[in-house]
Amino acid sequence: MRLLLIEDFRALRQYVAKGLREAGFAVDTSGDGEEGLWYAMSNDYDVVILDLMLPGMDGLEILKKLRAKGRNSHVLILTAKDRVEDRVAGLDLGADDYLVKPFAFEELLARVRALLRRSYVEKNPQIKIGDLRIELGTQRVWRGREQIKLTRREYALLEYLAMRAGQVVSRTDMWEHVYEFKSSSSSNVVDVYIGYLRKKIERPGKPVLIHTVWGRGYRLGVQP
Amino acid sequence: MTRSLQTRLLVGMIGGMLLLLTAFSFTLYAVISRALVNRFDAALLSTAQMLAASVEVDGNDIELELEAQQIALLNDPERPMFYQIWRPDGQIIAKSPALGTNDLAHLECSPDEPAFEASRRRNGRPERSVALKFMPGFDDEAGSQPGGDRILSLVVTRDAGDLRAELSFLRWLLLLTSIAVVTVSILISAIVVRRGLVPLNTIAGEIGAITEEDLSARIGDADVPTEIMPIRDKLNTLLSRLEAAFDRERRFTADVAHELRTPLAGMRSAMEVTLARERDIPEYESALRDCLTIVASMQTMVENLLMIARLEAGQVSFRAEQILLAELVNVCWRPFAQNAERHRITFENCIQKGMAVHSDVENLSMVLSNVLGNAAEYTDHAGRIRVTGNRTNHCAEVAVANTGCSLTAEHVLQVFDCFWRADPSRKDAGVHCGLGLALVQRIVKALGGTTSVDVQPGGIFMVRLTVPDTTHVH
Repeated sequence: MRLLLIEDFRALRQYVAKGLREAGFAVDTSGDGEEGLWYAMSNDYDVVILDLMLPGMDGLEILKKLRAKGRNSHVLILTAKDRVEDRVAGLDLGADDYLVKPFAFEELLARVRALLRRSYVEKNPQIKIGDLRIELGTQRVWRGREQIKLTRREYALLEYLAMRAGQVVSRTDMWEHVYEFKSSSSSNVVDVYIGYLRKKIERPGKPVLIHTVWGRGYRLGVQP
Repeated sequence: MTRSLQTRLLVGMIGGMLLLLTAFSFTLYAVISRALVNRFDAALLSTAQMLAASVEVDGNDIELELEAQQIALLNDPERPMFYQIWRPDGQIIAKSPALGTNDLAHLECSPDEPAFEASRRRNGRPERSVALKFMPGFDDEAGSQPGGDRILSLVVTRDAGDLRAELSFLRWLLLLTSIAVVTVSILISAIVVRRGLVPLNTIAGEIGAITEEDLSARIGDADVPTEIMPIRDKLNTLLSRLEAAFDRERRFTADVAHELRTPLAGMRSAMEVTLARERDIPEYESALRDCLTIVASMQTMVENLLMIARLEAGQVSFRAEQILLAELVNVCWRPFAQNAERHRITFENCIQKGMAVHSDVENLSMVLSNVLGNAAEYTDHAGRIRVTGNRTNHCAEVAVANTGCSLTAEHVLQVFDCFWRADPSRKDAGVHCGLGLALVQRIVKALGGTTSVDVQPGGIFMVRLTVPDTTHVH
C-alpha cells in the first residue's frame, strides 16, 4: 500500500515515514504544501497523511484541490489544531479521518489500516482466500495451518492483491501502490516478486491462488 | 441612605409632593377661611348698621324703633343675634331682650372704624361681635339736633357656629383630599418609577446573561433612554476590551498548546518508532540526537514565554553598566554569521566604535540577538543586513534593517504579538515560533526604551530600538 505523508516538521516526518515503512507501507514524503500537492496529484495514493499548517500551501487548500480534481485517495489529517471547528472544516472538505498531535504511532497505524480497508471495501481485519489467511493488523500470513514468512515487500504485494481479491490487478497498479516514488524499481520488478510469492504461498496438491491473466496482470483467488 | 434607586426616587417624589400639597392646603385654607370670616363680618356689620339706623333721638330720649322684619332677624333661633347700645357715659340705652340680665361686653372701637372680635358664649358656642360708634338719627318733628355728646356705641354679637362648621369642613376636606392625592401619587409614582427603571433592569439582565464563554454580546441595542446611553456605551466599550483580552488569552493558550504539540508529536513518534524493534546503536543515537534537538527548541520557547511572563509581571532585575554597542552587535551577530554567509547575506555594522549606552548588557544582548537572528532568518538570498546607531539625549538608537521583506503594513502592526508569523504555516517548523520580536519589545520596554518596526520601499524591514541610559538597578 502506498502512502503520502505531507508534514513540515522534519523530525515528525522522518520518524512517521520510517515507522510506516517498517509497517510495510510504501511512503512518499514532502515537507512543503505545493510539493505535497504535486505528489498527491501525480500518483494514486491509498492514503494521504496531511498536516494542515504547511509552508507553500495550507493543508485544507491541498485537500480542496485534490477533491476538486476528483482524487479519491483517503486523506487523514494530522494536525496540532484540536478545535471542533478545525475538525469539522477538515472533514467537511473531504478528509476521511482526523488525528490530533501528539498521537500514539500505533493509533496512526490502526487508522491508516482502517482507511485502507475502506479503500478496498474490506471491513474485516482478516482476509481469507481459500485456505490462505492474512491478518492485516499483525501482517501475518497462513496457508492452512502453516505460517508463511514474507519479506516486507512480498507482504505489501500480497496484501494489495488480497484487498482486490478476485479482480485482475495490473502490474502498473501494483507498482504504484507498493513502491515509493523515489524507488528505482520499475513495474518489471512486480513479476519478480510475484514469482517469490508463488514460491512461498503455492503448495502442491492445494488450489493455485495467484493466477496470471495474460496481457493484463494477476488475480488472487481460488477459481482460475 | 437606601441603596435602591427606586426607593430613592419614590421618597424624593412623594416627599416633594407632600411638601407642595401641605403648602397648597395651608394657603388655600387661609384664603378661604379669611373670605368666609370676611363675609360673616360683613353681614354682621350690615346688621349693626341697620340697628344703628333704627336709633332715633326724640327730644331728650333715644329710642330704638325696630321693624318686625328686623325683630325676626334678631330672634332667629338657629343663629341667635344680640345687640346692646350704650351712651357715651356707659349708660345702656337698649339691648336684646333675650340677654335678660346679662350684658354684652362693651368693645372699644374708633368712631371711623368698626372693630370685630371672636369670643365664646357661656355655653361654649363660638360667636363673633362687631362694635361701632354712630350718631343716632333725630326726629325733625321734635326739633332735636345732633350733638357731639350723642355718639353712641353699639355691639352686635352673632352665633358663629355655622362659620366654625364650614371651616372645620374645609379643613377635613383639604386633609382627606391631600391623603387621597398622596395615596394616588404613591401608586402612580411607583408605576412611573418602576417603568422608568425598566431599561436599567433590562441592562442588568443583559449584563447578567453575559458569560466569559461568550463576550460578543453587547448591551441595549434598542430602546435605551438618552440618560443611560453613556453608561451603555461605556459598558459596551468595557465589554469589547474584555472580549479582546479574553480572546488574546485564549489565542495565547491555544498557540502555546499548538506550538508544543508538533514537537511533542515529533519526539513521541521518534521514540515509539525507534523502540518498536531492536536497532543498531547508531540508530538509537540518531533518534536521541533528534529528540535532544526538539527538546532544545522547546526549552527555548518555554524560556522565552517565561521571560515574557516575568517581564510583564515586573520580576526581571537589571544591572546597568557601560556597553559599547558596536562590540555588542558584533558579539550577537556571531552565531548567525556562518549561516548568513552560506546565503551570501552581507552584514554591515555601521555603529561608531565609541558609541556607548549605560544599560543591562545581558538583556540588551538578548534583544540584539533576537533582532539580528530574525534579520538573518528572513533576509533574502544575497540580501543585506545593515545596523546603524545614533546617540540622542541620554538615549542610544539602534536600527537593524534587512532586505527581502514581504510584510504588509497590516502585518507590521502584529509583529510584536506572541506567536505571530506572517505565514501561519511553519517553513521553520520547530525552530521559530514567533516569540522573538514579542520578547524584544517587552525587554526594551522594561529597559525604559521603545521599539518600532516599519517596512520601507524596496522590501526593507527595519527594527528601531531606543534604549535610554539607565543609572539605577532594579
